Amino acid sequence: MKLSQFDKSMVAMAFAEAGEPDTAREFLGGSTGPQKSHSPLTKKKPVLSMLIFGAISISGYVALVSNEDLIMDKFTMGSWYTVLPVGAALIFSFVHGAFSSDLLSVLGLAAKK
Amino acid sequence: MKRLWFLLLAFCLVLPLATSALAAGDGPPKDMLKGVFTSFDSQARTVVFVKDGTSETLVLTLGEKMTPADVTMNKKVMVSLDKNADGNVMKDISIMFMDMTASKIIALLVVGLIGGLLSGFIGSGGAFVLTPAMMSLGAPGAVAVASNMCHKFPKAMVGAYKRWKYGQVDIKLGLVMAVTAIIGVQIGIKIQKYILHTFGNAGSNLYVSFVFMVVLVLVGGYVLYDAYKLAKGGGETKVSRLAMRMQKINLWPMMEFKVAKVRISAWITIPVGLLTGMLAATIAVGGFIGVPGMIYVIGASAVVASATELIIAFAMGAYGSIQWGLSGLIDIRMTLLILATSLVGVQLGALGTTYVKDYMIKLVMASTMLIVAVSRGALVPGYLADVGLRSALDPALAHTLGQVSFWALVTALASAGIIIGIAMTKGMLAASKETAPRTSAEAVNHG
Repeated sequence: MKLSQFDKSMVAMAFAEAGEPDTAREFLGGSTGPQKSHSPLTKKKPVLSMLIFGAISISGYVALVSNEDLIMDKFTMGSWYTVLPVGAALIFSFVHGAFSSDLLSVLGLAAKK
Repeated sequence: MKRLWFLLLAFCLVLPLATSALAAGDGPPKDMLKGVFTSFDSQARTVVFVKDGTSETLVLTLGEKMTPADVTMNKKVMVSLDKNADGNVMKDISIMFMDMTASKIIALLVVGLIGGLLSGFIGSGGAFVLTPAMMSLGAPGAVAVASNMCHKFPKAMVGAYKRWKYGQVDIKLGLVMAVTAIIGVQIGIKIQKYILHTFGNAGSNLYVSFVFMVVLVLVGGYVLYDAYKLAKGGGETKVSRLAMRMQKINLWPMMEFKVAKVRISAWITIPVGLLTGMLAATIAVGGFIGVPGMIYVIGASAVVASATELIIAFAMGAYGSIQWGLSGLIDIRMTLLILATSLVGVQLGALGTTYVKDYMIKLVMASTMLIVAVSRGALVPGYLADVGLRSALDPALAHTLGQVSFWALVTALASAGIIIGIAMTKGMLAASKETAPRTSAEAVNHG
């Protein structure tokens, strides 16, 4: 027998009222409630994102060390060159901050909900 | 929302205004020359000095107490001139940017991590130990302050963002406080300059230490008493009686801070912000007034106050970094090395606040403030001798006091790190115990 959407809804309501929410859910869309609750929502750990941000961050450090003299010369010129150290600190914070955040998530350290 | 935009706009307007109006009275010392020595005449005791960023050359003479060994060729140096002598006589030379060694790098990384942890947890901290730490590694004072300032504002930004995500930051309160704090910094600098001119360097040191001691002992003592009371009473936080009374003052313009759940007159927030800025200009840690001020005078919880402080730290740090950067004193290597670990620390500290009770934040703040007060207090006898208020110190005693001061700072950082670590671990274990039975109970119900 083919049930119309209206029929399905009514049957679902009947089951729901009878205290059988899972059966009701099956009628509504075939979603399997119980199975879902067996596997509580576990967030995927941001391993890839951590690696990408980590790699950018490390290459930033490598660039800093390998061009130390040039950087120290230009970054300390004063006046408009102020943009260089302040901007570098800001950009680095975005990249390394994102890496640190992912690192803590990968380590399983998350805020209490 | 409209009000928030208005505030943002006001902030953007006040910032450049204050900068341009007071630029002359701010930032690094102006009687200092930056540049490179190109040649040295040992007979005449003179050096040829090329000023940084220009091709202008000067012939400078070594001061009486200086030796040829003080002159380092072809390296960026800062030279302070003797104002009392005729001509260009040097008083002091310091190499601007030290050579990085493995031990220095490790030291910076460790201090950065704990400083970040403290900053994320109590909203401020780190600055009072980072600057002295950099100086003891060999950076000149001005470079240490500049590099610390440049690391502080992005770190505060990351911390503020994290805690905003946890719903702890009152952006409006932060911005209102930041605007007044920046004005407070200017007032603080004016007072500092007045004292420096009137009583000299020793008087200035004594003044800084005195303010440090008084503020830290009084405020730290009160916060500790409050934390103890809360811990005994089961950790239920109440709004302080002073804040309740302040909130009843119905003086225009009234401001509503939704996250902090406070409605208070702007006339109450202004002095708290001003004092935060003034303290920041005096002892470099405005948060020691800002956070308790927001808790006990305005009536925010310790969680919201310490989170909101990060916005103030960001605004003041950004402003200060530009000021110091204009003089080219930021050592970006030190800034980035500290950031490497402090960005991890600040986020760890921020998430730690979600696991602990309000009084824990107060306890960490109070213990840090009181131990730092000991560190500063140990230096007071030396400064008293410098201004002639007591006889000169015995060299052995002076050395011991210096050691006490240094190790007290280390203890302050270490104890804060340990308390935060233990509190967080306990909180996390309790939280995982709470969720474990719940998930199994849910599974049983559904199954």
